[in-house]
Amino acid sequence: MRPAGPIASVIVAGGGITAWSAAAALKRRIPSLQVALIVIPLSAGALADRMISTLPSIHGFHQDIGLTAADTIGGAASDLRLGTLFEGWADELAPYVHAYGAYGTPVGGVSFHQLWLRDHQRASLPPFDYFSPAAELARSGRPPTAGSDSVEFGLQLTLDRYGELMRAYALHLGVTEHRMGIQDVELRTDDGFIDKLTLDDGTSQRADLYVDCTGPEAILHSRFQTPLFDWSKWLPCDRLIMTGSEADPAFGSMDRVTAFDNGWRWAASSPQQSSSGTVYSSAHASDSEALGEAGEPIAFRQGRLEDFWVRNCVALGDAAVMIEPLEWTNLHLVHSQIDRMVSMMPARDCAPIELAEFNRQCAAEADRVRDFVCLHYVCARKPERFWKDAAAVAPPDSLAHCLSLFAERGRLPYHEEETFSRDSWLAVLLGQGFEPRRIDPMADLVPPADAQLAFATMRRSLESFALPSAAHVLPELNPRGVR
Amino acid sequence: MSDRSKLKVVVVGGGTAGWMTAAALVKLLPDRCDVHLVESEAIGIVGVGEATLPHIRAFNERLGIDEAEFMAATRATFKLGIEFRDWGRVGDGYIHPFGTFGRGNSEVEFHHYWTRLEREGAAAAPIGEFSMAVTMAYLNRFARPDPNPEKLESTFSYAYQFDATLFAPFLRQLAEQMGARRTEGRIVDVELDGEGGDIRALNLESGERIDGELFIDCSGFFSLLLGKTLEEPFEDWSQWLPCDRAVAMPCRTRTALTPYTSAIAMPAGWRWRIPLQHRTGNGYVYSSSFTSDDEAREALIGAAEGDPIAEPRVLKFQAGRRRRSWVRNCVGVGLASGFLEPLESTSIYLIQAAITALVELFPIDGISPLDRDEFNRLIDLEYDRIRDFLILHYHATERSDSPFWDHVRTMQVPDSLHEKMALFRSRGRVAKYREGVFLDASWIAVYIGQRVTPDGYDMRADLPSANVLRDAMSALQSEVRARASALPDHRDYIERYCPMAEAA
Repeated sequence: MRPAGPIASVIVAGGGITAWSAAAALKRRIPSLQVALIVIPLSAGALADRMISTLPSIHGFHQDIGLTAADTIGGAASDLRLGTLFEGWADELAPYVHAYGAYGTPVGGVSFHQLWLRDHQRASLPPFDYFSPAAELARSGRPPTAGSDSVEFGLQLTLDRYGELMRAYALHLGVTEHRMGIQDVELRTDDGFIDKLTLDDGTSQRADLYVDCTGPEAILHSRFQTPLFDWSKWLPCDRLIMTGSEADPAFGSMDRVTAFDNGWRWAASSPQQSSSGTVYSSAHASDSEALGEAGEPIAFRQGRLEDFWVRNCVALGDAAVMIEPLEWTNLHLVHSQIDRMVSMMPARDCAPIELAEFNRQCAAEADRVRDFVCLHYVCARKPERFWKDAAAVAPPDSLAHCLSLFAERGRLPYHEEETFSRDSWLAVLLGQGFEPRRIDPMADLVPPADAQLAFATMRRSLESFALPSAAHVLPELNPRGVR
Repeated sequence: MSDRSKLKVVVVGGGTAGWMTAAALVKLLPDRCDVHLVESEAIGIVGVGEATLPHIRAFNERLGIDEAEFMAATRATFKLGIEFRDWGRVGDGYIHPFGTFGRGNSEVEFHHYWTRLEREGAAAAPIGEFSMAVTMAYLNRFARPDPNPEKLESTFSYAYQFDATLFAPFLRQLAEQMGARRTEGRIVDVELDGEGGDIRALNLESGERIDGELFIDCSGFFSLLLGKTLEEPFEDWSQWLPCDRAVAMPCRTRTALTPYTSAIAMPAGWRWRIPLQHRTGNGYVYSSSFTSDDEAREALIGAAEGDPIAEPRVLKFQAGRRRRSWVRNCVGVGLASGFLEPLESTSIYLIQAAITALVELFPIDGISPLDRDEFNRLIDLEYDRIRDFLILHYHATERSDSPFWDHVRTMQVPDSLHEKMALFRSRGRVAKYREGVFLDASWIAVYIGQRVTPDGYDMRADLPSANVLRDAMSALQSEVRARASALPDHRDYIERYCPMAEAA
């Protein structure tokens, strides 16, 4: 059989950062493609396009498409982001910081967390997150710059500026823009592929591949009626109210996520914008109570598509995975899916065997993000009915496996397509007071006195953490410049 | 924590698996266990796995073993990969390298560019010529990898080829120094706990009784505890891996000391050639359904180079594994838990994987079923992935010159492998997983080396113009050759670094 020809043209549909990022990446990384973007109004539920806090992976995405830190930080009014302060997730415990990079350093070949677990009570050690350089920086309010391999950071975006940057960059690369609503998505009768999109003015647009970035409505992909995996029994929040306006310098490089009776609230700020909101369960708090928030609640149901890529249509971001913004994974998933789409681009026939591998990886990644978000609820310690209900549900099997192994001896199994590092898992587990029954027997190899010395040295070095000036950090973010 | 009572661990068997386990436990968990190894000198050791994978270096390092000392003691040579001859077709040859093709750091994997040139009819050189490990191997060169990732000399790894009958004694010395106890004797009875069914003690021919809390079965094919005593069922994989015999015969040679192991396809299986400092290991792995022991012996004698040092010896086995490796208070390590033919040098790797998992999940205050299940899950993953990789070697062939090759070429393979092959054929993609021993480059080497060629390639490989690509490829090929040629000769390197003591 003659192989099918390469994909030559792509239509991206959507109205926000997700769509422009996908279009820019496709055009930049596969310049032979014709890329058209059909711009439609941004969906209210498109969280990837609306959250200002991002994970460290955003820098890799920028690097892949040739944007420098100068473009994205200086040029788009972003700032470095070190982590989140979690308040009130375990009532009797102090707030903890989930930041990125290492928590402590191994001693004598033994993981730091094992030694911390062994000794923290007896030796009255500071909490686990006090051994993370990034958390230390974030907490201290010192300027968020990098001076060490052990600190990783994301960005706080000013959404309008960042969206403009991405649009301008995509257009510069040669993406064409069509501002026109989509009337109809027509399928071919023979193979069920998308044939064309009919636009509001009656004209139609055709391409070999269609990329759906239209948010939870999934205007293109929903034509295929792909089954959905419903996550709502594990992640019961189904309402979100978003507020925010002027920038608030008080936040520095750390956002706040606070648990309350029926859900959680966030507050964050970039140099030119603040963002805050409430995520809650409508079964536990009625909208009219409105929880003291102004704004229209957005309804959503958490879950993911069974298959992200069907025939010649691939759904990205909230069109494929609907998850609450806790831990800011929405845009991260978009970036990861874009990278996977580019590096696994099939031929025009979209061979099922190739799509299956793409879908397997996307699904595994989304499920592990779900597990990590779910972890916060499973380990929460709060007396209210919402929290008791959330903690009472048996977690997904993969998370249950992790929790039981961790509970047994502080061990976390490796999973495919994991987004969050082991230290991130530990930050949440130990930050919320979930401790294993026993620890790794290998920890015996480090006598308590040696560990004590190592702990003290780590703390001392963090307290005097040497900070380079902000000017130093920019080239470090993108050491090789434009690829 | 010297006040804690130590777990009494009894290791049964003094071969490679037994002493690797004993040494690792006394070194890594000195305060947690007392290790007592029982072996019988009357029972020979199989000593499979003279060729290893790079992972062995991490094991040795963790045990604090000095490399040069270990290599001299086991008469070891370096190993950069495995050469496969006559697998895809008679006359074909390729090396599965411990290393990358190309520089290994480009956005698009190297083999996509290579496939593009092939498709365009540009007659690219064999893909091995773009691999440092392969080129060094064919030129008989060796040096340790350069830590600078920008350099071509950083793009390979290495393992060892050593005399397995000398490795166990080497480890024994180490383990005994660190406190392992050893008893010589034949086990005549295994005592079970009446109620729980756990193993309680071993009774030796001498009358001695050795009791323990955790028993490690390293008794080889015999599987005394896991198989014979606890009757854990054996999952038979011979439908996919029909070889069930090997005839082995070491020879004294004065030929080139190749820094690679060879696996040469034969009419009813394949033949290994493993060069050590003092001799060459030879053997023919075959299926008794397709050839007789006598025929196999003759074929081996006819093919092996050099003067035989010992009479040919026949081993019998069956591909597969015990359904679980850890049952009750008994952990099978090595051949006692399963067998996969040494085609990709995985025997010692599997021992190591079991030891690593055991140390991580070592019982604390009694055996937890959760830890045991996790151990079994980890070991299953290892076996299943290696199994598919081995079957690929047989199945990806065009040979039709013997009933054996007709059988393996046309047999049904596991669905998991079928999908992996289809995915590679479609666009050169390697099914992705990080758990499991063989990474992308290994699969690519075997696929391409055995004529499973992709119909398409990554479209980003189309970016450079044909001329630019051809020039870059030939520049890379020349650079690889020049860099490899500049490295020391393998034999010279060994003679300087780790020569064995002259035989008495």
